[in-house]
Amino acid sequence: MTDTTQPGAAAADGKKRMTNGATARSDGHRSPPDAGEPVLTLEGVERGFGDLTVVDGVSTRLRAGQVAALVGPNGSGKTTLLRVIAGLLPADAGEVSVAAEGPRAVGYLPQAPRFRSRLTVTETLSFYADLVEGGVSVDEALERVGLAELRDRRIEALSGGMVRLVGLAQALLGDPALLVLDEPTSSLDPAMTEYIYDVIADLAADEGTAVLLSTHDLDVSRVADRVLLLNRGRLVVDDTPEAVCAARDAETLTDAFLAEVGRGRTVQPGSGTVQDEEAGDDTAAANGGDA
Amino acid sequence: MAPSVDRTALRAVVRRELRTLTRTRVHLLLAGGFVLAVVGLVWVSGSTGFVPTVLSLLTPLEVLLPLLTAAFVSRAVLGDRERGELALVRTYPARVRTYVAGVYLGRVTALLGAVLVPLLVVLVMVALGSVESTFLVQHSGLDSPVLFVRFVVLTALFTAVLTAIFTALSAVVRVVRRGVAVAVAVVVLLVVGLDLLIIAGLATDLLPESALPVVLTLTPNGAYRSLVLETVVAPVVTSPVSAGAPLPAVLALLAWGIGSLVVATLAITGID
Repeated sequence: MTDTTQPGAAAADGKKRMTNGATARSDGHRSPPDAGEPVLTLEGVERGFGDLTVVDGVSTRLRAGQVAALVGPNGSGKTTLLRVIAGLLPADAGEVSVAAEGPRAVGYLPQAPRFRSRLTVTETLSFYADLVEGGVSVDEALERVGLAELRDRRIEALSGGMVRLVGLAQALLGDPALLVLDEPTSSLDPAMTEYIYDVIADLAADEGTAVLLSTHDLDVSRVADRVLLLNRGRLVVDDTPEAVCAARDAETLTDAFLAEVGRGRTVQPGSGTVQDEEAGDDTAAANGGDA
Repeated sequence: MAPSVDRTALRAVVRRELRTLTRTRVHLLLAGGFVLAVVGLVWVSGSTGFVPTVLSLLTPLEVLLPLLTAAFVSRAVLGDRERGELALVRTYPARVRTYVAGVYLGRVTALLGAVLVPLLVVLVMVALGSVESTFLVQHSGLDSPVLFVRFVVLTALFTAVLTAIFTALSAVVRVVRRGVAVAVAVVVLLVVGLDLLIIAGLATDLLPESALPVVLTLTPNGAYRSLVLETVVAPVVTSPVSAGAPLPAVLALLAWGIGSLVVATLAITGID
């Protein structure tokens, strides 16, 4: 990774650098950055596994209060890119920079989060809250996602959707400037999906939180004001939903998506590769892309 | 991160481990079974006196403790990894070594509770029972509860080292099914495998006979056995006991314990 920020080193502006390059202040509270200042900056980010390049030169910026939907075929590298941004994987090249003030720069929600089943919701979140410098409020996060009444219920007694909300509450602990959500609505019913989108929209509007979420739900335009389309590790579209549709003369994002990545993609059983029938070529992007 | 914050995080991890263990029925059943096994062994053996009781318990504990520790610890980090919680923890400012230390301290605290309770029950049983002179204790005045307490301390040290070994195993293995297989293999290795390797080394002249007293103390079980024989049994028997030098045994146990925790930390730090 060619991130030039130095973990732990004091910056000239009096802020301290987080390990992923974010800036933080020690007063325990975040002031939303100026709307014009990017919260997330990606410059030529690359990441591979062995000889396979999964994320290939991705550059973009995300400002405070923006919600960006990262879409793309299975194996296009969405999860890998999100894990790089969350600091779970180092980038092979390029720079990831998160500008934030507060005890925690990035809140992360993995795909289908699971927690220790015999702990209660409060116990689970308190554990994570104690990992944040200065200590943070669990109650606020519970209120945000509407789980306050279930605080004393064990995780094993929650539905899948409720567990997803616990995961989202966990991501909110420490009031991070950037939320990175990996398919936050996959396998959820429409009502729960709508509810999670509402929570995300409120966070962006009220707190100025920048949100980057990956999804296969192309109805996401009701919450996202940016669409990032990743195809074979490359960022091929980065625009508003309206502009994405208009540029491809498409009525819906689904049509625009298919116009961009092609119809008739099939996964070859056992090969770990994705074959594009129109293009007639193979790519191994599925092998480790959304790993 | 400031040390005070690390302490908060450490306490949080320890508390989480203890809550998890005390709310898992299988762990409570295993702890109860261990109490029954230890007390039952002493009862069945009919040992009278503290040192004979130690001798009755030594070999069974060398088998039971690795089994109990494997059951208590081998899914600690592995379970967090499987659920994705290990990845979540790594997105927080807390250090990986704080997480590992917390997991270790939480698990070892629970295990020590399970291990020490039956041993203290045995101590009371022996103290209240008739303490007659036995074939081993030539002078009954030498048999003392202090020697049994020494045995309890050494057993606690052995348990702590085993906990570190299985914490490392839990951090290194990435698939639950493989974790169970590896845990079983490590138990077998600890109980008989390493001793067999030493015997094989002697038989094939890879190890000189003169190195035996030191080599025997290098395995966790061997070091524990050596320390118990040297510091608990040897003081009360007239015939010389040659079980290895105490210092190498203590150093070996420390090396196994600290080395295992370092391995656990590195395994988590290096994951993709």
